[in-house]
Amino acid sequence: MAMTDLIAQGLANGWQVTDAASLTDNLTLETDVVVIGTGAGGGTTAEILARAGLSVIMVEEGRLYHQKDFKMDELTSYATLYQEGLSRVTRDGAIAILQGRCVGGSTTVNWTSSFDTPDPTLNYWADHFGLEELRPDNLRPWFADRKQRHNIAPWAVPPNANNDALRRGCEQLGWSWHVIPRNVKGCWNLGYCGMGCPTNAKQGALTTTVPGALEHKAQLIHSLRADRLVMDQDRISHLEATPLQTDSVTPMPLKVQIRARHFVVAASALGSPALLLRSDIPDPHGRIGKRTFLHPVNATVGEMPDKVDPFYGAPQSIYSDEFNFSQGVDGPAGFKLEVPPLHPAMASGVLPGHGEAMGQDVAKLPWMQSMLALIRDGFHPDSQGGEVSLRDDGSPVLDYPVTDYLWRGLRDAYLRMAEAQFAAGAKQVRLVHLDSPWYSNWREAEAAIRDLPMALHRARLFTAHQMGGCGMGADPQDSVVDGFGQHHQVTNLSVHDASIFPTSIGANPQLSVYTLSARNSSRLASKLTR
Amino acid sequence: MHNDLSTPETVPDPGRRSFLKTGLGGALFLGSVSLTAGISGCATTPAGLQAAAPDGSGDYTFRFLSTDDIVMFEALLPAILGPTLTEAPEQRRHDIRATIETIDAGIFQFGAPNQKELRKLFDLLNFGLTRATLAGVWSSWKNVSTADATAFLDRWKNSSIGLFNQGYIALTKISNVSYYGQPEQWARSGYPGPPEWAASALPQFQTPS
Repeated sequence: MAMTDLIAQGLANGWQVTDAASLTDNLTLETDVVVIGTGAGGGTTAEILARAGLSVIMVEEGRLYHQKDFKMDELTSYATLYQEGLSRVTRDGAIAILQGRCVGGSTTVNWTSSFDTPDPTLNYWADHFGLEELRPDNLRPWFADRKQRHNIAPWAVPPNANNDALRRGCEQLGWSWHVIPRNVKGCWNLGYCGMGCPTNAKQGALTTTVPGALEHKAQLIHSLRADRLVMDQDRISHLEATPLQTDSVTPMPLKVQIRARHFVVAASALGSPALLLRSDIPDPHGRIGKRTFLHPVNATVGEMPDKVDPFYGAPQSIYSDEFNFSQGVDGPAGFKLEVPPLHPAMASGVLPGHGEAMGQDVAKLPWMQSMLALIRDGFHPDSQGGEVSLRDDGSPVLDYPVTDYLWRGLRDAYLRMAEAQFAAGAKQVRLVHLDSPWYSNWREAEAAIRDLPMALHRARLFTAHQMGGCGMGADPQDSVVDGFGQHHQVTNLSVHDASIFPTSIGANPQLSVYTLSARNSSRLASKLTR
Repeated sequence: MHNDLSTPETVPDPGRRSFLKTGLGGALFLGSVSLTAGISGCATTPAGLQAAAPDGSGDYTFRFLSTDDIVMFEALLPAILGPTLTEAPEQRRHDIRATIETIDAGIFQFGAPNQKELRKLFDLLNFGLTRATLAGVWSSWKNVSTADATAFLDRWKNSSIGLFNQGYIALTKISNVSYYGQPEQWARSGYPGPPEWAASALPQFQTPS
């Protein structure tokens, strides 16, 4: 059975949900707390604060889409559920940025992989950013709490052929591999997580914390873009926001003002620093927007002898950390190996090419197996991340330099992925790189990859994980917020999303965001209800 | 192998080459092309409502692509899609038109900042001087053969200038996604579509009777 659509039910039962596109007049509201963003961080925050009895208004720039809209259709989903219609890129265009823009944020479109923050990452934060209280032992109860809330458990169903090839390759080569924990309940194993879960099985913010907040009298205003936080002396007095039309891109000539005691920004690693920059929030050490991390992703495809049907089945169920922390937390760039799902539009957008060769590549789709590497950035002096700044229209743009250090990691990842695909039985392998032909054996591939230019635009790079930009730390000189997400200078401002990570995570970040937001929101709730 | 614009008639002078290599210079240059294109009569405003084509596609209102952009994609799509595009004339016209409409709908959702970037690129490719010197395409798009369009794509793909690689990716990515992503073209990639058993069991696929 398809799981109940909590959103449809709640709307029918009179939840306080406003589509800002339907407003006809300016609006002024007042509440205890405004939460900006409804993704992993904002949803968690809103639910915990609302349960504590505080009045909460959630503000979301994207629109409210739910089961009725999720029809396993790539083109519609990419246009409506992703930032900039899935055209977001870094300033030089070299890295494609996949990021959700809808109620539930990226948790509505992610592939459900749910990892604890790796211990070496938390220890690195304690050692380098004074975040002693985030040592693994201190966070364990919070991870357990959030795993329960989002029904996170290792995937008990056999992996699809796409993921099984990663398992097989690792087995053949003696590399470690594990089953990925997923946040699903009654999953149909269809393979359309990236287009919005059609069965309500995915336990992202849309089906858990956002409904939880609304059940506890929180209000949701979607299709409403947060423009700026307005300061009155040393505190924020209100949020100014602009409704967007139902096309979700055209601003309306209306203003919404929301006054509150406290403001929680959870608008993502691009959106949160941009909002703070637009608001001229005090930033005495110039830290806002700095140290933004991406887990830069490169990928390979292999043609398998048997059908893979990479469009069907849980998109991610097997991973390998063989090369992630093996050379030390701050050694050469490590990477996590995973598998992406491939549907026709995604496959033809990722594989570069034109003409007959492209048509032949696309025709291989049912036999195509793909691997990706998440490069762990931010742990080395030569990996300081990117910087978010504002475009003319106030929207964020990210400059992200790909350093030689990262290129070495990317080349190493290309090698290991090709090796694993041949070990798993691939007839031929090509890199997602403008200069890569199909290689017919590992020896040939290895020699060629060692000489391939590691250059912007030629190596096709992606990111589905944006982190940092409002980094946390004990020292206000090199951070924006403290270890509880509390802004160092402005007392009624918190940041509760992936932007507070002082480095990348080294794993898909959603559970890290859920966990830190839950911890920080519980503390905030006790402060505000005191 | 990186012979970008090195066929004799299209070698740009070294000054322009280094100028383009700086990102900022490139952006400013593209900006001035946009302005010039507008002044010199290139169509840079959305084509608006285009009546149903005789081959049976319905009315469609273009919200981003100009009439010049449409002609450009009519020339580029046969090169980008290659033999995958059917030869049957009516179906071919229909598929090209449907793909251009999908491209337009997609770009509309990109939002203003990325639309501005694409406007610069498309103006550069529509404005005669820059089309000839930077893209190496000497005729206007309506007279460009598929072979010439393919040669242009190869040049930008293999160029050592990142800005041209970026232009190549922009043109091919939006075209490939818009073509192969259409349900009518799923067979080209051997994709059977969402599992029927699931669709028939899910409420959002049922039409109210």
